[in-house]
Amino acid sequence: MREKCKPVRLTLCRGDFLAVCLVLMAAAALIAGWSMGSGGKAASVQIWQDGIWKGEYDLMQDQEIQISGSYQNTVKIQNGRAAIIDSNCPGQDCVKSGWHEDARQSIVCLPNRLELRLVGTEGEPQVDGVTR
Amino acid sequence: MGKTRSLALSAMLIALALGLSYMERFLPLQLLIPLPGVKLGLANIVTLFALYFLGGKSAVQILVIRCALGAMFGGGLTAFFFSITGGVLAMATMALTRRLPFLSIYGVSICGAAAHQTGQVLMAVLLLRSVYVAGYLPALLLISIVTGFLTGAVSAACFRAMIAAQLPFASNMEVSYAGEFD
Repeated sequence: MREKCKPVRLTLCRGDFLAVCLVLMAAAALIAGWSMGSGGKAASVQIWQDGIWKGEYDLMQDQEIQISGSYQNTVKIQNGRAAIIDSNCPGQDCVKSGWHEDARQSIVCLPNRLELRLVGTEGEPQVDGVTR
Repeated sequence: MGKTRSLALSAMLIALALGLSYMERFLPLQLLIPLPGVKLGLANIVTLFALYFLGGKSAVQILVIRCALGAMFGGGLTAFFFSITGGVLAMATMALTRRLPFLSIYGVSICGAAAHQTGQVLMAVLLLRSVYVAGYLPALLLISIVTGFLTGAVSAACFRAMIAAQLPFASNMEVSYAGEFD
């Protein structure tokens, strides 16, 4: 004997379009909220690990910084940009994310709980900065 | 479905989900979109299947065991936190959106993918104690529309075949065609 049939929708319908719009709107709202602050080039990079301040480095001084922890990361600063150029973490997302130079951007290595926060001249990302 | 049969099916689904997420690592998606946390989310097909055919309880069991085993097989503790928060949030969202009569499996899958990304970013914010990491969320949400659609399409094809074949777990299901509810 068959139980009561449960209908399953397997073809695209109008409601799905609504779901897509909802996600798009959420993304747009977040982008709008985020860019209300400042953009522009970063002046320095702050290194945070496990939520703890590890130091701040000038992006105008080319250098390499070694970071230890659960894994080893090599941070390189060159021509006003920063990147994690080497890491022994699984995944290697941090290395693949490449070079960054804009304020309010972050380069992260989640396995090592590391965040490189690119900041403007104020030290902290400016909330009342120049609008683009 | 008997107890033994249901246990065997759950075990196979866990293995399948683990295999899919392992396989995903070899897809060079990161080269295309260099953001942390970008992946297809093929294991979500298993979650969708469990939710639709086996019910919430089995789905949660499969999810938790899959995340725990995934962590043991190489992800580590950090990876566990990420996959479990993403996974639980995605499952809760899909369990809810599934009940909406105007959404098909595509919509449910997209909502699940978006919730997964949100969960992972939330975890990153907590773990790194930095809200700046949330700057990645908009891009990840946009990507989740595409990945959610793709996993939805794969699931739809699988489900259609399983329902048509009248497999034991699919015997009380039937495919609803668009228009029926409109």
